[in-house]
Amino acid sequence: MCWGRLWFGAVAACLTVLACMTAAASSRTDGRLPDGKPQRIMSTNMCSDILLLMLVPKDRIASITYLAHDQVEVLMPGADAGVAINHGSAEEVVAQHPDLILASPWSASAMRRLAGKVRAPLIEIEAANSFDDIRRITRQVGRAVGEPGRAEVLIAEMDAKLALLDRDRPTRPIEVAAWSSGDTVPGAGTLTDEIIRRAGAVNLARRMPDASYSTFGVEELLAARPDAIMRGEDRYDGPALRDAVSEHPAIRKAYAGRRISYPASLYACGLPQSADAALQLRAALAKVPQGGVRW
Amino acid sequence: MVGRAAWPLLTAVLLVVGVLLSLGTGRVWLDPAVLAGSLFEPKPNLPWLILSELRMPRTVLAVLAGATLGLAGAALQGLLRNPLAEPGLLGVSPGAALGAVIAIYFGLSGSFALATPMLGIAGALAAASLTLMAGRGGTLTMILAGVAVSGLMAAGLSLALNFAPNPYAAYEMTIWLLGSLADRDWSQVLLAAPFILAGWVCLALTARDLDALTLGEAQAQSLGIDLSRTRFLALAGTALSVGAATAVTGTIGFIGLLAPHLVRPFVGHQPSRVLLPSALFGAILLLFADVATRIIPTAQEVKLGVLTSLVGTPFFFWLVARLRRMSP
Repeated sequence: MCWGRLWFGAVAACLTVLACMTAAASSRTDGRLPDGKPQRIMSTNMCSDILLLMLVPKDRIASITYLAHDQVEVLMPGADAGVAINHGSAEEVVAQHPDLILASPWSASAMRRLAGKVRAPLIEIEAANSFDDIRRITRQVGRAVGEPGRAEVLIAEMDAKLALLDRDRPTRPIEVAAWSSGDTVPGAGTLTDEIIRRAGAVNLARRMPDASYSTFGVEELLAARPDAIMRGEDRYDGPALRDAVSEHPAIRKAYAGRRISYPASLYACGLPQSADAALQLRAALAKVPQGGVRW
Repeated sequence: MVGRAAWPLLTAVLLVVGVLLSLGTGRVWLDPAVLAGSLFEPKPNLPWLILSELRMPRTVLAVLAGATLGLAGAALQGLLRNPLAEPGLLGVSPGAALGAVIAIYFGLSGSFALATPMLGIAGALAAASLTLMAGRGGTLTMILAGVAVSGLMAAGLSLALNFAPNPYAAYEMTIWLLGSLADRDWSQVLLAAPFILAGWVCLALTARDLDALTLGEAQAQSLGIDLSRTRFLALAGTALSVGAATAVTGTIGFIGLLAPHLVRPFVGHQPSRVLLPSALFGAILLLFADVATRIIPTAQEVKLGVLTSLVGTPFFFWLVARLRRMSP
């Protein structure tokens, strides 16, 4: 999701600036992992924060990002109690002496230099755009933190839910738009699109000419006549005007009983819980009145 | 060139054409006949929804905001006797923008849709009172106070962006500041309209005083004009009308500067005679600019404030060139 990316972008920007300050460092870390289980793991990526909290006990976590808290409150309340936070800054990396750093591709190049300074291996975690990506990333982090078995358990749970979804998929899929403000509507090749598909619906944005993220206003949304409108509801992504806009009276009138709220956090980060998101969406879709909109 | 007698007709024609274009165009093309026919179809139907809930409030808002900017620009150019005066000069627009951005910053806009325009109006009024308090005494002090208040409000805006709770909110604020009429609804129009109308009344009351002011401040005072009352009316009128308009649309530049200059060749240079034509031309300019934002085929709708600035800047150069030609 766009705001997820923006968050990572901010962390990356912060790191880039700080990396310039420490540009003297030239040593490189290789991808080799330490023998045994890392005991001071530092995560500088909001999505890997969550994975880390699920995979290892809290006492082996050096810190997670300051962005994670709200999302943790949504996904697993209280799981981050007592865990230190970082802002992805150079001082923190040096001060916290991590023995493993989880970074996003946006911050990886800047973080690599710092990782060299503290002699900690660095794992680059890509953003997930599909359930295949989620499996790959969960395994990658699981191996890195020395808990591959735990990762397989999480993946198996996810796959069981996905199998359940595939077994009784609705015969006539309805069309939905993940429209929260019109700034960005996730289309083909996004995790949101995949969750919508697995839940048994068709993503309206696939019909739109633009690529992954298209934009359209209320007028275009109404003219496209989706069967239902999905709306990101989490407070974790903070206050923004789009809630007011998605309450536009035209949409309220035209889509009474056809507006689905969804947990944006599960769509922003590819996590094993994304299967739960697809299950929830399936349940919500079942409540949408049959047949298209009346007007 | 159009003669002096013909301008009311020309204005009326342009205004009607602008309104019809604004109702008839959008990111979605709907046949005008279908749009008109939707009025008699069973409701709700798609063309009627788009017309009544999206295009009508947008058009009304364009007329209100455009007229406000044109009127306030003309009144301030008369009051300050400065061709470069515009509604933003006295700190009112930045004040409205700051109020609105604060609403987004604290997430009030998420829980309550009208929080943004309401805080915007409050911000405009606060900025105007500050300008009035600091700038008592003369025209020059008022301009200086306005510049200082604008600076303060701009600093507040930067601070809000600096401390934005997350990058998405910062993005949201930046986009809001660019100014747009897209996807506004009736509740926002109805909230702003009373303030806008009250502001118009205040500005219209200055008309006679502005004429006297063309002779100079001392001469105007000797004619019995209470200059502090004139300043108060002009500032209060600007704060109410421009503040309310900016609170709903975001900052829209250059209309207030452009409209009075456009109409002067037709109606003469007497400030009181510029007010109404300038308001009408402000509305026309904003209507056509808003139609243009919908027609220009870009992936992201070009924001209204961006377009008016892009189109308005060449006009600024023209103004400079004209002044240079006219000065000895």
